[in-house]
Amino acid sequence: MNSQEYWNPVLETMPLEKLKVLQFKKFKRILNWAYTHSKFHKALYDTAGLTPDDIHSFDDIKKIPKVEKSMMREIQNKDPFPYGDALCVPLEEVSTYRQTSGTTGQPVYQPDTWQDWEWWSECWSFVLWAQGYRPKDRVFIPFGYNIFVAFWAGHYAAEKLGCEVVPGGVLDTQSRILKIQELNATAMMATPTYVLRMADIAKNKMGIDPAELSINKITCAGEPGAGIPSTKKRMEDAWGAKVYDHSGATEIGAWSYECKNQPCGMHVNEAMFLVEIEDINTGEIIEEPGRKGKMIITALDRMAQPCIRFDSKDVIEWDSEVCSCGRSFRLIKGGVIGRADDITKVKGVLLSPTAIEEVVRSIDGLGDEFEVIVDNQGDVDRIKLKVELMPEVTKLSIENTLKDQLRLKTNLGYQIEYYDYGSLPRYEVKAKRFKDLRKKHIEKECRL
Amino acid sequence: MKDLSNLNVVNDKILKIKQLLTELEAEAEQFPALSRNSKRALASIKMLELNISDMIAFDLIES
Repeated sequence: MNSQEYWNPVLETMPLEKLKVLQFKKFKRILNWAYTHSKFHKALYDTAGLTPDDIHSFDDIKKIPKVEKSMMREIQNKDPFPYGDALCVPLEEVSTYRQTSGTTGQPVYQPDTWQDWEWWSECWSFVLWAQGYRPKDRVFIPFGYNIFVAFWAGHYAAEKLGCEVVPGGVLDTQSRILKIQELNATAMMATPTYVLRMADIAKNKMGIDPAELSINKITCAGEPGAGIPSTKKRMEDAWGAKVYDHSGATEIGAWSYECKNQPCGMHVNEAMFLVEIEDINTGEIIEEPGRKGKMIITALDRMAQPCIRFDSKDVIEWDSEVCSCGRSFRLIKGGVIGRADDITKVKGVLLSPTAIEEVVRSIDGLGDEFEVIVDNQGDVDRIKLKVELMPEVTKLSIENTLKDQLRLKTNLGYQIEYYDYGSLPRYEVKAKRFKDLRKKHIEKECRL
Repeated sequence: MKDLSNLNVVNDKILKIKQLLTELEAEAEQFPALSRNSKRALASIKMLELNISDMIAFDLIES
């Protein structure tokens, strides 16, 4: 074992059976903490007829009721204002406010103590160390430092590792690219959408080839792109850098990461989180690799507003492969495949927007941007795909390949509209490329 | 770390630092620069506990 490869060489290589013991004991600890410090959690468990003392084994964990985002929305804006009854510490202990982006409804408020912030950056330290960040790195972070958690903890973690951090906050994209060039930054963190957008602006507006810049690694978060092979390839080709995936969420923390070996998936940090995969139809917990389901997650050490059996709606599956990096933390295959909210039935077939992205980004003559619009005429569903042709590329030269690949990967036919390069909307952070205009978008119908 | 069997020794040191900082924080109520910095340092010590002490407390490391 080369311990320099691991942030924590003991935890990251601990045999799975021992990790399970650690998870169980930590689960009991956080459950007991929440039960005794939060009215919300106490009421939730009392209603289910359970107390922490009823949890005797790992199998008992699934008896604990799940927490939905909607439940967190309902309790907030009440005392202790604005967080409500899930708060487990006196209000004066809260040092940081963040909120979710509100993509799926009213934003959820997230209080953290300073210890929770130390924990956030600790989780991110596992991520960055595994991706090769070291004290010699100069890390450029081009995001709007604001109420969204985004790369805040990545910033603190990079500092903890000993890197030099350049906060590229209130700068426009061109200024950010010039700053990377001026300072010879070696690493960067951004959403996949913004990584591609920056490359596009550098190349086509500034005449700078991003691959000639000094960036040698990029950590992505916020969207599945870095786990989609064709999108990852586009980013790596554009920047001449390794691109690594990572997944986290405001209410959860930084729970998974791709290591330097790029195993086509992400390690779950099983020392800090308990990830369960639930069959969407039956509610059964899926232990074996190869079956997709919805992630139910517990942050084992987050204290101010605990995250216990949170229904994240992220769709994932365990990988049967063991990573050659030596970590015992299990892999989820292909990272986060999508969200249960987004995976929907079209013409009776399940459609995941990431499958369309994989196809579009795999075709050289198409630009990075695209848009998918699902609507219906009467009872018949229709899917419109808008794509951009790169300059000097003709529709005829790619149309058959695009249609064939879409049919192959999604089992669906599309009405394809072609646009000139640069015509479709550009996004700076997270993209909104999938629009379902049908009246009924029914998650219940999802069959994975 | 070359010798992982030293984790028990490491843990003893972590707990000693924690004890000292806890005392300092409690004693320095009228001295914000001491109490608040001690509290902040305790948050960092908690990360050492998550990385090392939990494994000892939960009997996951053989002595």
